[in-house]
Amino acid sequence: MSKNAKNESLLLGDEAVGFAAIDAGLTGIFGYPGTPSTEVFEAVEAEFKKNGVANRVARWAANEKVGYEFALGCSYIGKRSMVTMKHVGLNVAMDPFVNSAITGVNGGLVVVVADDPGMHSSQNEQDSRYLADFANLPCLEPSTPQEAYDFTTYAFELSEKLRLPVLLRLVTRLAHTRGVVARQEMKEPTDLGIPNSESRFNWVLIPSNARLQYQRLRDNFGQLLEAADDFNKFKKGDRRGVVVSGMGKANFDQLCKEEATISKFSKLEVMAYPLNDSLIDKMLESCDEIYIFEENYPYIEDKFIAKTRQTKIRGRRDGTLNIAGELDPGVLRQALKLSMPEKKKGPTIDLPARPPRMCDGCGHIDAYNAMKEAFNIIGVSDPRVFGDIGCYTLGAQPPFEGIDTCVEMGASLGMALGAAMSGQVPSVGVIGDSTFFHSGLPTLISLVESKVNANFVIMDNRITAMTGQQEVVATDIIPQLAQAAGLLPEQVHILTPLPKKHEENVKKLVEIFKNNRPDLIIFKRDCIQAMRKGLYAKINEEKKAGGHGHE
Amino acid sequence: MSSDKLYGIIVAGVGGQGAITLAQLFLGAAWRSRLHTMQSEVHGMSQRGGSVNAQISISKAEVTAPLLLSGAVDLLISMEPLEALRYVPFLSKNATIITSTEPTINMDNYPDINLILGALREIPGTILVDTAEHAKKLANKNAGNMVLLGVASNYTPIDKTIWHTIIEERFASKGEKVVVKNIEAFDIGKKIIAPSS
Repeated sequence: MSKNAKNESLLLGDEAVGFAAIDAGLTGIFGYPGTPSTEVFEAVEAEFKKNGVANRVARWAANEKVGYEFALGCSYIGKRSMVTMKHVGLNVAMDPFVNSAITGVNGGLVVVVADDPGMHSSQNEQDSRYLADFANLPCLEPSTPQEAYDFTTYAFELSEKLRLPVLLRLVTRLAHTRGVVARQEMKEPTDLGIPNSESRFNWVLIPSNARLQYQRLRDNFGQLLEAADDFNKFKKGDRRGVVVSGMGKANFDQLCKEEATISKFSKLEVMAYPLNDSLIDKMLESCDEIYIFEENYPYIEDKFIAKTRQTKIRGRRDGTLNIAGELDPGVLRQALKLSMPEKKKGPTIDLPARPPRMCDGCGHIDAYNAMKEAFNIIGVSDPRVFGDIGCYTLGAQPPFEGIDTCVEMGASLGMALGAAMSGQVPSVGVIGDSTFFHSGLPTLISLVESKVNANFVIMDNRITAMTGQQEVVATDIIPQLAQAAGLLPEQVHILTPLPKKHEENVKKLVEIFKNNRPDLIIFKRDCIQAMRKGLYAKINEEKKAGGHGHE
Repeated sequence: MSSDKLYGIIVAGVGGQGAITLAQLFLGAAWRSRLHTMQSEVHGMSQRGGSVNAQISISKAEVTAPLLLSGAVDLLISMEPLEALRYVPFLSKNATIITSTEPTINMDNYPDINLILGALREIPGTILVDTAEHAKKLANKNAGNMVLLGVASNYTPIDKTIWHTIIEERFASKGEKVVVKNIEAFDIGKKIIAPSS
């Protein structure tokens, strides 16, 4: 969308974060795709492609931990960096996340984590604010696309001022909401140089240094509170009060335009953490009853419950709001006992759900069909297959019912091997190529030595399909990797999942499942969506040039 | 949209039909009309042939909430009749429904289409648009969404010239022919105003 004179444009919350990073003089952005965070990286990558990438870099990593380490390395040499991930990605990156709080940073490091209240495309709705708290790091929480831009700009300054990583917390509804965003002038990449002789050893976390650094982190807590206080606003009003943050703030502010009574409430807006106890005390002194609207665990609420004497705290703990799920205007209206609108009368017929499904002609369909028949032939009437995260997760649904678990990235292989070692015959784990490189590779090493009937099935379409067909860190190297790890050539099978290959694939799978040894099966066929978009041209070009498919 | 009250729109469809693109056109048109606006959309797995919706808020006052109040939505535009029915519970009593009559059957248990269209006809304020017929007449298989947008434009406070500009900007990269074809389809939709029951 075109820009206007005020340098405004229509941006997704995610895009606003990405553009703010560029404008703030970012050098490197890294991460691993994950809904709803993916478009932060993609916005930056697209800008770099359009405008040239002199002295700047955007690179997907094998997983969030590696992405975080890329960003930390960028920060070490004095450049501004950003790492992006979804909420569960921060679990993967916890080690560098927590320890980079101990080392501190050099160039500004902003950690963008997008939570998914309501689990639109995730396995849980964990709240990243607790992890910022756990790591003793500041956290900023915007509520509109413009705030997403402004807070990101500030996050880089704050990171360099406190010499700490700053967590920028997004949620799905902000990440994927478009609004008007005014941009500032773009800065050239900044450079603070490498750590000087004084701070050089801060980065070496041997116990003698780590103790000093950890003490310093705790001692500087006051600075974190001060920084957060600049963002958090208290306004005295009625004896009824409200505490809002993130989407709670966005929804409450909207509601105030329709309901005069609630706009007179005493109000605490929380946009940054740690939250100062003095603000909690002010609210408690000013109110007999406080509603807390935050996305999505009762994080602020529990701090109020811990401190309150008489003031009633209305939120997710007392059932005013459900403990799970995301906020919307209806949820707030109900909690505040405001009137609900008169609805249109709906249809009286039952409407079947229309869940997402695998694309017509997708190779995963042929892979699942072949596996199902192979199990049937070897007499396993109720096979249990360990699954993973990607488009192929859709194979859990009828008519395929081809996988029985989906837990976290890489779990399919670890669980399949664990079950095999514990007596499951044959044991099968299904994983995509991107997920394999993310978290399956170490398990492949364990497979080789296991000598049990564990069968790893890699659905290899040479792209990270589900999140929008991002490039995988490597393509076409899995057979060589497996053999280098110690699997024999006869233990590595490359099958083409096509309808015309069905009989052949079934026969091969029957043989493999019966064979009492570890096997690696690679169902290899390109993603039809990515093919239609012409995304393989670049990958193939790089292969021809002698690369491994990574830039 | 007469008062300061927020005007809420849902664009519904099946993943891949272009619901998000259509919603973005609304957002751009509202912004160009100097109105406050915000639009939320779904990404990721749900786009794989599943039920998809995008929500747009338009107001003379500042908009902060990405989601609309269920039961207060003013306008529903659906690219698929079953999906239109699915979002009726989100609508206000006097809301307008503009829906394509062309089913997307990517499921085993799709109900009888006549049952669906019958149920839609019973809901006051519904405009059924035979997008397949329009696409055929215009020899433009993608005309349906633009016809729906044209119909919907009659229910928004946005000037016709702004709509044309927005369509032009959005499809400019696909060539002038695509732009002209889309505007042609939009203008045909704009002439449809009365319920076609």
